[in-house]
Amino acid sequence: MGPSPSFEAISRRLISLSSSTSSIRTHHINTLRISRTTSPKRHFTQNLLRPLQIYRSTSTDPYINLSIEHHLLQRSHPDSTILFLYTNRPCIVIGRNQSPWLEVNLRALADGLPPSDSKPNNYAQPISLVRRRSGGGAVFHDHGNANWSVICPPAIFTRDLHADMVARALRERLGVPTARVNGRHDIVIDVDVDGTDAHATKTFKISGSAYKLTRTRALHHGTCLLSSPNLSRVGKLLRSPAEGFIKARGVESVRSPIRNVGIKGDEFAEAVLAEFRAMYGGGDISHDGEVVVTEEQALANNDVVSGVRELASADWVFGQTPLFTFSTEPTEEDPRPRPDVGYKLREGFRAHLVARHGEIQSVNIRGFSGTEASATVDADTPALTSALVNQRLHHTTDWRRTLEEATRAPVDPNVGEFLNEMFGIRPSVDGKNASVAQMVEQIISDTPLGKFLAQKQPQE
Amino acid sequence: MASITRCLRVARPAVFTAVARASASRSVAARAFSVSAANALRKYTKEHEWIDLSADKKTGVVGISEYAAKQLGDIVYVELPEEGKEVSAGDAIGAVESVKSAADINSPISCKITQVNLVLEEKPGTINQVAEDDSHGGGWIAKVQVTEQGLKDLEGLMDPDAYAAFTAEAGEH
Repeated sequence: MGPSPSFEAISRRLISLSSSTSSIRTHHINTLRISRTTSPKRHFTQNLLRPLQIYRSTSTDPYINLSIEHHLLQRSHPDSTILFLYTNRPCIVIGRNQSPWLEVNLRALADGLPPSDSKPNNYAQPISLVRRRSGGGAVFHDHGNANWSVICPPAIFTRDLHADMVARALRERLGVPTARVNGRHDIVIDVDVDGTDAHATKTFKISGSAYKLTRTRALHHGTCLLSSPNLSRVGKLLRSPAEGFIKARGVESVRSPIRNVGIKGDEFAEAVLAEFRAMYGGGDISHDGEVVVTEEQALANNDVVSGVRELASADWVFGQTPLFTFSTEPTEEDPRPRPDVGYKLREGFRAHLVARHGEIQSVNIRGFSGTEASATVDADTPALTSALVNQRLHHTTDWRRTLEEATRAPVDPNVGEFLNEMFGIRPSVDGKNASVAQMVEQIISDTPLGKFLAQKQPQE
Repeated sequence: MASITRCLRVARPAVFTAVARASASRSVAARAFSVSAANALRKYTKEHEWIDLSADKKTGVVGISEYAAKQLGDIVYVELPEEGKEVSAGDAIGAVESVKSAADINSPISCKITQVNLVLEEKPGTINQVAEDDSHGGGWIAKVQVTEQGLKDLEGLMDPDAYAAFTAEAGEH
């Protein structure tokens, strides 16, 4: 990973984005399928005052899709009800109040997925890391997963209302008789475990839910696993190597066995649309009311762009992390026995670290020398502590170097390597490591969104 | 808090309801004490925030209502407001998470945030226990300085009796 502009630099560029998007508007007006307007100023937002609205995004960028959704949440008429359907390229989406260091295997994320079958090449498919604005736990998305989202007035909102709508679509329109909403507001199905016993079934989650409630609106969005080829990889991606060492405030994910429901994306979308119409529209809402939003259209909207800017910033993805404690020893707050640290670390090695918003608040590392000269090493602990406090975990590029620079005492390189693994920093062959923030930024900059953002940077 | 109005009915075991009721009565007692002690004036928004105003109407304490806390369910995380921030009535000043839902906390009036309740960082469930307690250990969210506009905003808010009637009506829907 070569040198690349920081998240802050990209954010600064984005801040400078003004309404000067007219060139894009005129360019992509040809791609409007449903919006029959010829005025470049009227985009997919022209329907925001209608009582019922249906949108489908053709973008597979998770930052863009979540920002379109947020725009609809913020700007639609408070009495309107909206259905929004979209699919994302491979990404991990964590909840608003979660820790990426606890929820995600950041090194596995950086490795990406094996090359796609449909586009055979030598490259791994990158996986984006996204923090959404709604609550709940971490999920994996890819092209085989459909996302559905309903925005409605608070007065009709319940947590099950629209999960039931999707479950109904699955049962009554798509031939999935066991689809139902469970006590966690997830949609589950029963699957025969094997052919030997006709009655032996196991329950699998196919859809998860999360909610965002504002002063005037309620948003419920959910996933639905249709035909993901990556299910066997999800468990590893959503398991942090630091899980056994971290106690976090905020929200921890609940693991559930997952399964594809085996339906095509178009069929699922049509069935959910039909169910939504049956629920709210009667015969009033026809296909004409459905708006297809392209990526270009979305990025011509300044609200969407500023939403993307926020979601794609390291300050949001990592800096929004609630306070957590990393400790190699059981503590009063987190008395779990700790996993074996595995490395050839000295017997007396101990690390205790508290981070708030990804920034180290307090840290105590002892026994970090590979030698037995413990007296001199531990005497240097205060120097190490003061050098590390206020350092941000997501901007740390290599703990081996960080520790060497922080103390004059000898440091066991295995200690740095252990901390690199714990906090998701991937070793690199050329000796230059990238921070996790740079890693996520690099994945964005390789996408069309990244190119759009780069084009939009001010002339220097 | 608007979205927790009315029909956010979460199926929950009877035990929880009993606990909620018990804690509600506790907090009523606590509130009665603090209200008389500070001679505070309490107002509510339709979006289920409350504000206690000091006798001189220069400062106040803000929180979310017991009704809202009960509708939301178990609160597992509180994003506190930013100290020193000046906000208008209705602005989102923080958020709470419960049962996969991130719900905005909105400022009931125009004001400046002077202090936040750090207890909630460690014990977010305090809001479920004593949502309307503005004393130490209570579920209040922030202390504020009331602006001139804030005094005007107060006129549009409900007193405790009107709010009780408002939530009773909402519950019937």
